[in-house]
Amino acid sequence: MTTFLQLAVKEHINEEVRLKQYRTHLLVCAGTGCVAAGSFEIKKVLEKEIAKHKLQNEVAVIATGCNGFCERGPIVVVQPDGIFYQKLSAEDIPFLVKEHFLKGRPVQKLMYIPPEEEKPIPKLMDIGFFKHQRLIVLKNRGRIDPENIEEYIAFNGYQALEKALSKMRSEEILSEIKNSQLRGRGGAGFPTGLKWELCRKASGNGKYVVCNADEGDPGAFMDRSILEADPHAVIEGMTIGARAIGAGYGYIYIRTEYPLALKRLKIAIRQAKEYGLLGKNILGTGLDFSVELVQGAGAFVSGEETSLLAAIEGKVGVPKQRPPYPVQKGLFNKPTNINNVETWANIPQIILKGAKWFAEMGTEGSKGTKIFSLVGKINNTGLVEVPMGITLKDIIYEIGGGIPKHRSFKAVQTGGPSGGCIPKKLLDLPIDYETLKKAGSMMGSGGMIVMDEDTCIVDVAKYFMNFLRDESCGKCLSCREGTQRMWEILNKITKGQGTMQDIELLEELAIATRDASMCGLGQSAGNPVLSTLRYFRDEYIAHIKYKKCSAAVCKEIISSPCQHTCPIDTEAPQYIAYIARGEFKKAYEIILKDNPLLGVCSLVCHHPCETKCRAGQGGDPISIRALKRFAVEYGNGKSTGRKKKTPTGEKVAIIGSGPSGLTAAHSLTEMGYAPTIFEAKPVAGGMLVLGIPEYRLPRQILNEDIRRIIDAGVEIKTNQQLGRDFTTNDLFERGYKAIYLAFGAHHSIRLAIPNEDAQGVIPAMQLLTDFHLGKKIKLGKVVAIVGGGNSAVDAARTANRLPEVEKVIIVYRRTRTEMPAYEEEVNAALKEGIDIKFLTTPTNVTTKDKKVTGIECINMELGSVDESGRRRPIPIKGSEFQLRIDTLVQAISEQPDISCLGEDYEFNVSGWNTVVVDNTTLATNVNGVFAGGDVIRGPSTVIQAMADGKKVAQSIDRYIKGKPIEFTYTVTRPSIYVEPVKLKVEEVFDTQRQEAKQLSVANRNKNFKGVDLGLDKKSAIREAKRCLRCDFEVKELDDKKEKK
Amino acid sequence: MIVFTLNGLEVQIPEGYTILEACKFYGIEIPTLCYDEGLSPYGGCRLCLVEIGEEGQTKLVSSCTYPLEQELKVRTNTKRVINARKMMIELLLSVCPSSKTIQDLASKYNVRKIRFPVRNDDCILCGLCVRMCKEQMQSGAIGFVKRGYKKKITTPFNIKSEVCRLCGGCIYICPACQLRCQGPAASTDVCNACLSLEPTCIETHDDYQCWMGTTGDCGTCEGRPDQIKKKK
Repeated sequence: MTTFLQLAVKEHINEEVRLKQYRTHLLVCAGTGCVAAGSFEIKKVLEKEIAKHKLQNEVAVIATGCNGFCERGPIVVVQPDGIFYQKLSAEDIPFLVKEHFLKGRPVQKLMYIPPEEEKPIPKLMDIGFFKHQRLIVLKNRGRIDPENIEEYIAFNGYQALEKALSKMRSEEILSEIKNSQLRGRGGAGFPTGLKWELCRKASGNGKYVVCNADEGDPGAFMDRSILEADPHAVIEGMTIGARAIGAGYGYIYIRTEYPLALKRLKIAIRQAKEYGLLGKNILGTGLDFSVELVQGAGAFVSGEETSLLAAIEGKVGVPKQRPPYPVQKGLFNKPTNINNVETWANIPQIILKGAKWFAEMGTEGSKGTKIFSLVGKINNTGLVEVPMGITLKDIIYEIGGGIPKHRSFKAVQTGGPSGGCIPKKLLDLPIDYETLKKAGSMMGSGGMIVMDEDTCIVDVAKYFMNFLRDESCGKCLSCREGTQRMWEILNKITKGQGTMQDIELLEELAIATRDASMCGLGQSAGNPVLSTLRYFRDEYIAHIKYKKCSAAVCKEIISSPCQHTCPIDTEAPQYIAYIARGEFKKAYEIILKDNPLLGVCSLVCHHPCETKCRAGQGGDPISIRALKRFAVEYGNGKSTGRKKKTPTGEKVAIIGSGPSGLTAAHSLTEMGYAPTIFEAKPVAGGMLVLGIPEYRLPRQILNEDIRRIIDAGVEIKTNQQLGRDFTTNDLFERGYKAIYLAFGAHHSIRLAIPNEDAQGVIPAMQLLTDFHLGKKIKLGKVVAIVGGGNSAVDAARTANRLPEVEKVIIVYRRTRTEMPAYEEEVNAALKEGIDIKFLTTPTNVTTKDKKVTGIECINMELGSVDESGRRRPIPIKGSEFQLRIDTLVQAISEQPDISCLGEDYEFNVSGWNTVVVDNTTLATNVNGVFAGGDVIRGPSTVIQAMADGKKVAQSIDRYIKGKPIEFTYTVTRPSIYVEPVKLKVEEVFDTQRQEAKQLSVANRNKNFKGVDLGLDKKSAIREAKRCLRCDFEVKELDDKKEKK
Repeated sequence: MIVFTLNGLEVQIPEGYTILEACKFYGIEIPTLCYDEGLSPYGGCRLCLVEIGEEGQTKLVSSCTYPLEQELKVRTNTKRVINARKMMIELLLSVCPSSKTIQDLASKYNVRKIRFPVRNDDCILCGLCVRMCKEQMQSGAIGFVKRGYKKKITTPFNIKSEVCRLCGGCIYICPACQLRCQGPAASTDVCNACLSLEPTCIETHDDYQCWMGTTGDCGTCEGRPDQIKKKK
């Protein structure tokens, strides 16, 4: 008879001894993620190289289970130093072996560098992804060879079994598990101890324990990784459970789609049998217990316990009514205890370290740790084990490393398809069974799918519903037809054909499906719909009512992401196609059709189209703005003299000649009205002329656009200020039928620090305005600009070009990632030698004789994420420092200057001094007065202001005609489909983005020449040919529909 | 004896009864489509839903499959039950709009409109025919294939079964296989125009056994892609 102790002595393997045999261990991750990335190949090459250098007796190569950081595979961890190598390829290995293991110099370039940082982190335990985890179930991951039982034993493996069998009675095991308050990790969270007790008490012989390894959620791989990394833990847990319950036979029901887990389980069972840890008379204690593997054939519903039992029995995996519960009447009608893989893997640890130790972790109702598979739009994809009660924010930002490509976080789906979406506002939610349920989701087995702003929530709901309608067993009408009908409705909505009644029907159907279905699948099938409707109803309404998909995903609504995203519906794919065909004039006309300020936009638009460009998802987006610049330059034929139209229609007054006012006026002339723009300043253009410096927008281009608008029949009266020269009532008396307030946001906000009134402090907008109006401005030698928006950068780059200025510093309280100014602007500022002090905030202005001499600043650090999804800056105590400056520019933000409305204005105004309007019509609370652009939004973009102008023209048209102001919205479609040019093979593979040429930094010195020099003909055509022409996909769908 | 509460009244029933059987015993009407006294309970049509449990923690279960337990609280006509049942009827109607049985149910529960696109499936997958064939006729010629929205009832490999004796039991028990309603209204309306119960297929075409042989005489399966092929 071999007892366990004898066995352990005989083998005499413990960690110390084992590790002493080799100087260094290389732990190659052989989890599914890394294997897919080629880790077996890495292992082979490693072994070869090590043998080549005759190091095989010093360096051991071991294939381990999943390391967790799947994003970075293939992974090799070097022990005992704990150095973490990532994203290895076979070519890296010879160099790595030579450098690190022969010469003892760790290779920096193969180490992990966090996004946004430059310095590599050599050690595994210093990496944020690992630092915040707490490993219990996964303690052996990336540490032992899962195919070798001795390695498991070396790390205290099977000691819990020995303890349970030799020192504990079965009641004691049971009470230990009960006291630990472990709850089922399969999803519903039923107390494990209680389940065991019920099974133990159930009458009948030949009880069974079953391990549910039928993990089938999209994006979930927790159980898979446990089985691949540490299969013995599950076997040990089941054996202990069998002892407590009184079962003699166990089944592990595992998906056939998990070949590696299956292989390692098979090996583990064989080895356990060889070591007398399974089979008859285990460890000489008289316990007989065997485990059998059953392979599932890929049915999601077989993860439901009654279906799973049916499947083990050889029947079709279809749920049965509970009661009787499996603990009463389960497998082959015998009492059966089913637990999930993760639950079983927790058992040995609880027995070994005690219930108290376990119950100290987690929250009141949920103890211990939970494994999540973190996937989707997240930097650190992988497997994480965290204590219960950790916040979502910690998982997503501290461990997950945040959202890639500076996109903003939108929601996270927990619990797989049957779970729910949790929105941004619940990021502080501590995760346990109850809180997730309350939030409308569930723990599920632990899948966590992170979604960013480019994820359409209706599309996500549709995706999960498609999964469920496919995976429903089809027994219950409620689930079979319910999921099908919900999918049909969601599909309809994503095609832009939904109605508002559909939302109601969806909700009703989801509730009925939840109520009426027999098993867990059907009962939770409504969750994807209910939770997205709960938190993202607006997005459903946007799809149905406004035909808008803000994520630019639902293709039958958006046609092409660029056109759909453009606030004024510019048909980018069409003019790009014309450029590719060499028909530049036509390209110009397509742009002009929707955009009266095309010259301006071609230089200063913040191009949301490029952000959403589909070519940019895997590579670089098309340079859409540069192509527009090209079309404007090359397509604009010679002017044939001015032909000014004289309008005859009703008079409309527009206050402000910025992009919004100009666009509104242009649109109104097209409708036959006679608009007059009243401009307070001596020149027309608003922020375009007062705020945007000439080096960004040469005035000749701006003036050409304005001239075109005047020619269309718009009258512009300069030096006419609302409030000073006239009031809104005056305008109505003079016969204007409607008024559009578009005077922008020109008032810089104060910093709210002491001595801000000193001489030498100047608001950014005043600086820019005065300069552009040709007034004299006096700046000192050293100019500091406080703020991180576009006006801050404009002010800085302008100041930098003035002869008297020697040094320009931008002081910004967050980091570059959070900076709201356009990236290209920030880059240009840095190139031009402007010093940006990030994570710095001024606290005081030091003065001498009431003149600015400097500012006191304090350094900041980034704290936790706030509601805007950015990390909140927190001052670092004791980091105060002095900055000697001569001029301080306030540029943190701007507000509309509403003093022009008079003292007793009757308009509704927000706390930010913006005028409040109806979002769909832009009507203010005063009859006949509309408002748009920065007046209602605060500092926003040119294109947004223009969109407001276009919209308000329609509203004013309806208002004057006495029609109700309401619009019908249609899905986005181009007005014409331009045939794409045929590409040569090398053109198809040409994915290099063509950037507009820039004026060299040396030539920018102290002058205001335009910086953007545009594309030349050859590169413009080359760039245009890269366009993927997303619009054609929808054309095909439309054509098919027509044929029907 | 099991003592339980039925719609607020404490009542008794011998052990082994399901909720549905007990309700029938006490004269409480519960609609069913997939239930038949002579066959094993299935629980697929979800019409016989009742609400059980203590207040605040109640759930809906199919009464035909739920065995009565001591002190169980059962409510058969709560708002939640009726709402779920109405939705089930609407779903049934949307796949079998011309079945007289389902139209009658709809009429009774005041379901007046089908808000889903209508499909003429002529099968509600209640599984009565499958159980009839297996349990009463000891044949097992037909069964379910596929799952979810693709689920259907057919013979193995979609060819005429060798164990089928053309007894017609399946057609006899089918609640959906009725002659089509000829009402004048739009297809999405529940017209309730048929005042008398139309005879079932078996009564009209008792020789043809159209289910198994697909003679096509009754016309219902004409041109359908899943039509069972005749064995050559």
